[in-house]
Amino acid sequence: MFRHLGRRAASCTARKRTYSDFKHGNLPHSHSPITTDLEFFNSVRPDGQQIPTYRVLDSVGQPIDGSTVPEPFSYICSSYETMMLLPTLDTLLYSVQRQGKISFYHGEEATVVGSAAALSPTDEVLGQYREMGVLLWRGFDLDSIMSQCLGNKEDKATKGRQMPVHFGSPQHHFHTISSPLATQIPQAAGVGYALKRDPERRGKDCAVCYFGEGAASEGDFHAGMLLASTIPSPTLFIVRNNGFAISTPSSEQYYGDGIAARGPGYGIDTIRVDGNDILAVLGAVREARRRCVQQGRAVLVESMTYRVGHHSTSDDSFAYRARQEVEDRKKVDNPVSRLRLFLESRKWWSDDEETELKARLKSEILTAFKRAENLSRWELKELFSDVYAGDEPWNLREQREELGELLKKYGTVWEPWKKEREKFNGSGDEFLS
Amino acid sequence: MSTEAAIEPPPAGGHVPSIATSTLLRSTREAALKTPSIRWCDDPQVGSSSSVLVDSRETRKMNTYQAVRDAMSIALNKDETAVVFGEDVAFGGVFRCTMGLAEEFGRERVFNTPLTEQGIAGFGIGLAAMGQTAIAEIQFSDYIYPAFDQLVNEAAKLRYRSGGQYNVGGLTIRTPTMAVGHGGLYHSQSPEGFFLGAAGLKIVIPRSPIQAKGLLLASIRDPNPVIFMEPKILYRSAIEQVPLDDYELPLSQAEILTSGSDLTILTYGTPVYTCETAIHHLSQPPPSLDALIPQSVRSASVELIDLRTILPWDVDTVVKSVQKTGRLLIVHEAGRTGGVAGEIATEIQKRCFLRLEAPVHRVTGWEDSEISTPVALQYEKFYIPDAVRVLDGIIKALTY
Ligand SMILES: Cc1ncc(C[n+]2csc(CCOP(=O)(O)OP(=O)(O)O)c2C)c(N)n1
Ligand SMILES: [Mg+2]
Repeated sequence: MFRHLGRRAASCTARKRTYSDFKHGNLPHSHSPITTDLEFFNSVRPDGQQIPTYRVLDSVGQPIDGSTVPEPFSYICSSYETMMLLPTLDTLLYSVQRQGKISFYHGEEATVVGSAAALSPTDEVLGQYREMGVLLWRGFDLDSIMSQCLGNKEDKATKGRQMPVHFGSPQHHFHTISSPLATQIPQAAGVGYALKRDPERRGKDCAVCYFGEGAASEGDFHAGMLLASTIPSPTLFIVRNNGFAISTPSSEQYYGDGIAARGPGYGIDTIRVDGNDILAVLGAVREARRRCVQQGRAVLVESMTYRVGHHSTSDDSFAYRARQEVEDRKKVDNPVSRLRLFLESRKWWSDDEETELKARLKSEILTAFKRAENLSRWELKELFSDVYAGDEPWNLREQREELGELLKKYGTVWEPWKKEREKFNGSGDEFLS
Repeated sequence: MSTEAAIEPPPAGGHVPSIATSTLLRSTREAALKTPSIRWCDDPQVGSSSSVLVDSRETRKMNTYQAVRDAMSIALNKDETAVVFGEDVAFGGVFRCTMGLAEEFGRERVFNTPLTEQGIAGFGIGLAAMGQTAIAEIQFSDYIYPAFDQLVNEAAKLRYRSGGQYNVGGLTIRTPTMAVGHGGLYHSQSPEGFFLGAAGLKIVIPRSPIQAKGLLLASIRDPNPVIFMEPKILYRSAIEQVPLDDYELPLSQAEILTSGSDLTILTYGTPVYTCETAIHHLSQPPPSLDALIPQSVRSASVELIDLRTILPWDVDTVVKSVQKTGRLLIVHEAGRTGGVAGEIATEIQKRCFLRLEAPVHRVTGWEDSEISTPVALQYEKFYIPDAVRVLDGIIKALTY
């Protein structure tokens, strides 16, 4: 943004200014030119102009004039599959959760899949909770998705301890999601620095941090951006600006020009991209990643999307926004159909393939769901594991033993416990023996 | 994320008290108006409690979130400087506590903040330091930690640090707390214990709609900053006839809910009802537990106390009770180590040492992660102290 400083000043004073205007030299030990103009600058400009948005496809899937379609094209077809997987999963998980099976689920497509496709599979990802598409792109399978969402014994991500969509998989370089917002942002700067310190991964991998425009209001956002730029590290920040944080519209989240306006404040290369245009996201994140890794410095991508769904399954968003607004967005700015129209216009995709794909995804998802639904939970003793490494401290041991005594006494007669025990692998018998 | 109460249906065959049927809830106008220590705040005779006035007072059936809303509405009406703010507060809040307030009082007084808990606390401190009334919401008590510095180092210490020249008495932080049955690690915590060392702050936890309204109004008007933690499972499930007038209930005063002579149970928030159920099972065990409850304890007379204010807590009421019963069981959802029960037990043991007939017993959440209080999603039924655990604690304390 500071690159535009000269231009902004020009627009304010209606006079083109050149560097020779600054004839008084610089502030000592700096490049800040001395000026006699009493002028203020702001990301909110008097002429209303905002940071531009990078785009490739128009709303009907045609490349706009002068745009660059990112290659290779095979990527684009696979991203379409993954993109389609998300809403199909969304629908199923949403409907089962409405029957009370899981606690919440929510999703988002082009931004997540497009950026995932632009990354190296070994880049370390720290997400917020709408980034399941990154895992799917990296081959995290449907059984693992379902197991985490249902918290069964195959939920390696959290052992049934966290709510649905709190995935994590070291094998997929995807750090376990945590509900408290924005905590992953400064952590990402540390992850980036660790990559830089690691001779095997220096110059190869970067840390990639996803978060919402709401989370960007937390102190942790500012701390993370500041650290990644001041203690330079290959850390790529991708903010999904979907217009809402639960009920709060982005117009009440910030007054400045979005999240992108903050990047320059930290000396971070920044771009804003049309987040419902997967080709734009792919192209922009690919270039962002290249800079990030090559320069070993943080980069910020603001991806402009729209949260079509409710915030979560316990939210009814029509309490705070018009149903029509959502319907309109679905129609005119649908990330999935924009890509499909593009693929169709290149004859890379047909109605038949679409029908086949939809049916296949649906059946794969249902199979995975049915399988996961019949699996028990972890063993009950996992309630007490993983607190510390090494020796179990006396207080935890005693509490575990106390629960054991209680289960021996009441676990076979007290109805609520009897019923609940059955859900665990081994029915909690490890406490009874 | 408005939360449906997920209460277990009562076991077949027994009229076991649950939140919905609790006799501790005041479901008639008469009972509501007789709420102990109620202090009517009428204009202009603030504090009047004459029976003449009581007779003409009206009540309405409310759940806890409606009672909380009612208290804020009164505060906004009577105090021009009062403002209500927090994440998603303008549309009514994720638990519906601020529903309609923005429409009624305008967006300058009831507003959304950006998503920053440290910001919300700091902003409230600033308002309160200017002598105004700040009623802030932290969306879940699990998310209060980013505000910890502002609350512990600033809100708690400003009066002391400025030699009494500045204070933030006008600050009240409301925040939903405790478990609901499906919240997992980060929507179920009870962080009250973390604030115990923050002298200068008050911590209040109501058990019901009447209590929530009276204690919240008292907290808002108290000359100290107050963290007001609302048990989220009670938002919908606890229902009472709530007086419509402005009234307060005293801070730092525990309430004896049932009096007894053999054992004192001290608790606060949601477990009040778990304890009620456990006491019921003690005298009338369901067939499944019949063999496990010794005859000798079935007629024990139990005194149940709701602590209500956690900091500074009402040591006198608890000491008096334990001097009478000789036995104390403390129940809370938060983990054991570093929990509120540990602090209370020490004081009681010191003051009632010669009278105690059993060590002070604690029934608490397990501390699965350091001294924090996570509640692992799928394990929740074995984490939260339920009626059978309280019952077992009662038996242990009585038969020690
Ligand atoms: C520290 C913290 N405060 C509040 C919450 C409750 N909360 C969960 S999601 C959310 C909104 C997040 O909005 P945004 O960052 O824009 O992400 P989006 O859901 O739009 O993807 C809030 C307030 C939380 N999880 N953590
Ligand atoms: Mg958002």
